[in-house]
Amino acid sequence: MTTLRKALPPAITLILLIAGWQLYCTVSGVDTWLLPSPKDIWDAAVEQRSVLTTHTLATAELTLYGFAAGVAAGLLIAVVLHLVPFLRAAVYPLLVISQNVPTIAIAPLLVVWLGFGLAPKLVVIILVCFFPVAVATLDGLGRSDPRIADYLLMSGASRGQLFAKLQWPNALPTMFSGLKIAATYSVFGAIISEWLGSDKGIGHYMIVQKSAFRADRLFVAIVIVIILALLVFGLVLLVERLVVRRER
Amino acid sequence: MFVVSADALSVTGLNHSFQDLEVLKNLDISVGRGEFASIVGPSGSGKSTLFHLIGGVHTPSSGTIEINGEPARRGRIGYMPQQPALMPWRTIEKNVVLAREIAGKSDLALARDWLEKVGLGDFKRSYPHQLSGGMQQRVAFLRALISDQELLCLDEPFSALDAMTRAEMHRWLLDIWEANRRAVLFVTHNIEEALLLSDTVYVFSHRPATVLEKVTVPFDRPRRGTVVDDPEFVKLRRRLTDLLTGNPR
Repeated sequence: MTTLRKALPPAITLILLIAGWQLYCTVSGVDTWLLPSPKDIWDAAVEQRSVLTTHTLATAELTLYGFAAGVAAGLLIAVVLHLVPFLRAAVYPLLVISQNVPTIAIAPLLVVWLGFGLAPKLVVIILVCFFPVAVATLDGLGRSDPRIADYLLMSGASRGQLFAKLQWPNALPTMFSGLKIAATYSVFGAIISEWLGSDKGIGHYMIVQKSAFRADRLFVAIVIVIILALLVFGLVLLVERLVVRRER
Repeated sequence: MFVVSADALSVTGLNHSFQDLEVLKNLDISVGRGEFASIVGPSGSGKSTLFHLIGGVHTPSSGTIEINGEPARRGRIGYMPQQPALMPWRTIEKNVVLAREIAGKSDLALARDWLEKVGLGDFKRSYPHQLSGGMQQRVAFLRALISDQELLCLDEPFSALDAMTRAEMHRWLLDIWEANRRAVLFVTHNIEEALLLSDTVYVFSHRPATVLEKVTVPFDRPRRGTVVDDPEFVKLRRRLTDLLTGNPR
């Protein structure tokens, strides 16, 4: 009931927006290649559905691989930097700076270095995904309750136990915040990597349709990207529900 | 020379300083098996430092600390801190078992038994935030009690509770402890609390902490709350208050 009540206002807003968009297109008679109406987009989606299914599955697969690899990299970095304070001091600032390098700028370099296969695409997704996971997890690991830490030390806990019983469980909620950000980034990373050079996937489809001035199909692709991102996000949310049993 | 059977805790000639700050000076404390000893002293008199030394988290500047006749090291005490320090993501039963878990002797059934025995059975699957402050402290005490250590160190465990809850906790603690005697070292700055609970009270001076006096509390066990109205109790309380405020008559 409360979920429904919460979902209602944005749903109404969305419906109004689409209705206004449709009305504008119908009344003004703007060209479809310039601004397709929601109806045009829907028709394009229906017409292209079998092609789109293939591309969507390709992108979904790439996204999941990349997301998994990015999360693994982020967690590994967080744990290592947490356990080795010297490395943290040496690496963390550089990590932050590295995030100012636009991924799209180094993407072509990755192709030069790694070719056109799966590798450069995965690296692009890893690059956009690892950072939120690493930062959020590192933050969570470092913020455990000092009173509980004191209790554990007094009770004879080893450093490993301190990590396993206090720091790691304590980091889970913040880690999941990072995972949620990474989830939405992962689809975006997959699309960029497909722009680099690919013969399948929604990113590839977008490039082809852009050249053909098929704005209606581009919009379909955008909607698919949004849905994919929401699905990955939902997946993270589901895992979080199962793993984090902390009630506050 | 003769051999004494080892006390649960034996502190001899203990000194400790942080850089130039002398915190503990020439302390001698012993707690026999099954004895309830308290330390009262002004805040900042190094009582928590003493606990960290007993717990083996720090090494003393000089002097010896022995637990059951062996040099103090980590993992040899059951500890109850000032704040309950329960893990918010663990259920009550999983919190109670934590100290045993650290020692590699996890026993959830034992934890459940004890929760049942002390009237917290209904809460075993609850989370700490669902319990009141007093209840959380009971859980923290139980965690120390079932830790399977001979010596329990309780660091001002009731100082954050209101007077009524505190009185209830005294009753509760006495009931459990009198039925399950363990050596207890109890730190407090509340004189009445120390006298009510203990067999022996050590009065600490201000920094650097030394033992001003070791008082043997003469009242029988099981003790009742009404002991505080006993003229002897009132006299003792008066004397300790004077000692602590540096106002001897």
